[in-house]
Amino acid sequence: MLNDVTNIVVEALPQFQGYVYPNEAALHPVWSTLIVVYPYITGLVAGAFIMASLVRVFNVKALEPVYRLSMLTAFAFLLCAPLPLLFHLGHPERCYEIMMTPHLTSPMAVFGFVYAWYLMAVLLLELWFDFRQDFVKWSKVTSGFQGILYRALTLGVTDVSEPSVRLDTKMEWVLSIVGIPSAFLLHGYVGFIFGSIKANPWWGNVLMPIMFILSAIVSGIALCVFNYIVLTWIRRKTVDMRCLDTMAMFLFYALVVDAVVEGLDVLHRGYAAEEGFAVLQTMIREKLFYTLNIGQVGIGTLLPLLLLGSLQVLRRRVPEAVRRTMIFWSGAMILIGVLAMRWNVVMGGQFFSKSLRGVMSYKMEFAGQEGWLISAIIMCLPFIILTVLVKLFLSERLQPNGHSSQSSSAT
Amino acid sequence: MGAAFLGLVTLSAARAAKAAVQTVFVSTSAPKGYDPTRHKWLMCIDDNKCIGCGLCAEACKKENGVPEGPYYRTWIERYIIPKPKPGSDQTRGEAIVDSPNGGMHGFPQPTLPKEQIEHAFFVPKLCNLCENPPCVQACPVGATFRAPDGAVLIDPKYCIGCAFCVQACPYGSRFLNPVTHTAEKCTLCYHRITRGLKPACVEVCPAEARIFGDLENLHADDPLQKFYEKNRVQVLKQYLGTKPRVLYAGLDEEVR
Amino acid sequence: MRRFKLPPQILRLVLLALAIVGSYLVARSFLVPPSFGEYGWYRGDALAEIASRPPVFAGKQACDECHSDILHNLAADAHKTLSCEDCHGVCQKHCNDPDILPDKATGSHCIRCHEANLARPAWLKQIVVKDHYGPKCTECHLPHQPNKTP
Repeated sequence: MLNDVTNIVVEALPQFQGYVYPNEAALHPVWSTLIVVYPYITGLVAGAFIMASLVRVFNVKALEPVYRLSMLTAFAFLLCAPLPLLFHLGHPERCYEIMMTPHLTSPMAVFGFVYAWYLMAVLLLELWFDFRQDFVKWSKVTSGFQGILYRALTLGVTDVSEPSVRLDTKMEWVLSIVGIPSAFLLHGYVGFIFGSIKANPWWGNVLMPIMFILSAIVSGIALCVFNYIVLTWIRRKTVDMRCLDTMAMFLFYALVVDAVVEGLDVLHRGYAAEEGFAVLQTMIREKLFYTLNIGQVGIGTLLPLLLLGSLQVLRRRVPEAVRRTMIFWSGAMILIGVLAMRWNVVMGGQFFSKSLRGVMSYKMEFAGQEGWLISAIIMCLPFIILTVLVKLFLSERLQPNGHSSQSSSAT
Repeated sequence: MGAAFLGLVTLSAARAAKAAVQTVFVSTSAPKGYDPTRHKWLMCIDDNKCIGCGLCAEACKKENGVPEGPYYRTWIERYIIPKPKPGSDQTRGEAIVDSPNGGMHGFPQPTLPKEQIEHAFFVPKLCNLCENPPCVQACPVGATFRAPDGAVLIDPKYCIGCAFCVQACPYGSRFLNPVTHTAEKCTLCYHRITRGLKPACVEVCPAEARIFGDLENLHADDPLQKFYEKNRVQVLKQYLGTKPRVLYAGLDEEVR
Repeated sequence: MRRFKLPPQILRLVLLALAIVGSYLVARSFLVPPSFGEYGWYRGDALAEIASRPPVFAGKQACDECHSDILHNLAADAHKTLSCEDCHGVCQKHCNDPDILPDKATGSHCIRCHEANLARPAWLKQIVVKDHYGPKCTECHLPHQPNKTP
């Protein structure tokens, strides 16, 4: 009796090496792929919007062809932004609490209001002012469901006189100016959610919101490049090269700034070598090796910098078709790289123990509340919504040579 | 006149509807006579005394119905500090830390032989009852809070299960309950202390390593009073500014 | 002097904005729990709810009501810091109905604390169980008064 009691059975959990707090030794991480997808989506929204604002605020006329597509992209992705959060909550039926009793010391609490403000007071309003005259025009020439939709969207205002058009333009300009800090807030608060966690040395630093915003801008421009080329290709039109070259230029410089800031973060960590540095090194080596070195740095930063940088140097000497391919692939690689960055930040912060003594391995589930499947569906949904929006609001039939539509051919 | 009447009817209907909706939030009874503003709870750990039997971790799970698995409101860590490697520059070897099942069933023998061990000791861990709790700061809806008596609690009916507080706690004290899908942590056995009982872990500790008391109602031979008089104390991760209220005596610098 | 007229777009938008803000405020009056804000940014009723959970362990003081003689012996010897429920398990049922007996204490309880472990502090009396005398602890030790022999 005494002897078998002395053989205490110890559960050898293979899920971690070193020492982790017992609460961290769970099977699944607390925040999973859904929380990786959410900053990715809001980043794309903020980035696409800021690129579109370049047209209205800084008068970059070259980007006019892609203005409406960028705004609709931002809108499609914004509609899907709350979905990962809703699916992630333990009690989604209580989600209204965040708007009813927001605890204002928490960065997460501002989500409800920042989202509502950005959706209604910035994006929808600016879209409305831009499309308003077209709604009036289209409601007269279409019938059926679409006709009703356009009529409803005019909000009963049918005035298309000169002064009202001037007011529309002025309002768009004001909203773009208001929209830029709002976009920064929409994505910056997500960066601050991570940056404010002093308990976690991978997350809690001052550069986090800045890194998030910069990579958001980069990913947003890359998304607009991607969408523009894909849409033009589907419609069998030719791409406006002046527009594409300008987007590539902005993309390059944004990527340079983003890479510098992220590099600064790495440099500072290595130099200061604070207590958590050793476990972070282990975590990166064991858990983030491919997603960081190959995904975020290699594919997401170095290769696009090379491609886009060479385009900045060689410019028109490179033939159009080659330029188009290089820019397209740079955009696609950046999109992958920024997703990898979100993964590295969110998951990396959970792969090591706060005891700074251990590294965890979690099982990433496929189906299930935070599995790959649901995240993949949520990532595809904005594109489906965008297709519907493009059919309704960027239809070639209704605006063959509209002021903000794709140019049909380079004359 | 008609408009005023209509207004009144709508208002009373609205009020009735509001009352109906809000009955969802009104709760049931609790121990009467407990005034949270008249108590100031404090937990102290005398780390020289812990023998690593794990009775506290086991009792906590039983008392609070914590699900089986890696979910602990309190746990024990064992630190084994080996002698430094011969010829190395260090004064101490690399600490080996473990906590099998939170220490709930005791600990197996250390893998190092006696000659190689410099120090070895146990450290009980729990929610640190911070005065400036990062978890409360992080909660987006006000589901976790610091009660007037110093206990940091979670409202299980209000928590949305976002797990931001779990991420914010530097001590690993919180977890997401897989059954209720809300955040959970040590509540200082609030349901016991409001009835004049001791928290379960304090109750069962055979070595008097856990000392619990009420700073507002100290009496002459209160173990808390004795602890204060006898010991210099430390807290965990003080540099984070969370102002933990669980005081440790005899803590080693290797403890995180 | 031209009379100022709000452009129709702005008028519609202002009305829409007022409607949205208005419905938010109405929703808020319904959905915020009544005791919210009583002590701080949380539901005041939560304190009572959390405290209303029935305790599981009875506590040493509850044992004193009937077993004060045992506790008297216990208090005079080395095991005075132990709680009855350490070895006898949760005694709540027994407190409510004395005919329901608590768990019997076994040698595994002794070993739990007294098995020699290099991490245990020196003040605790420890034995290497397999090298120790007999299989039954109570042959030589009284559980409530461990320094006395039976």
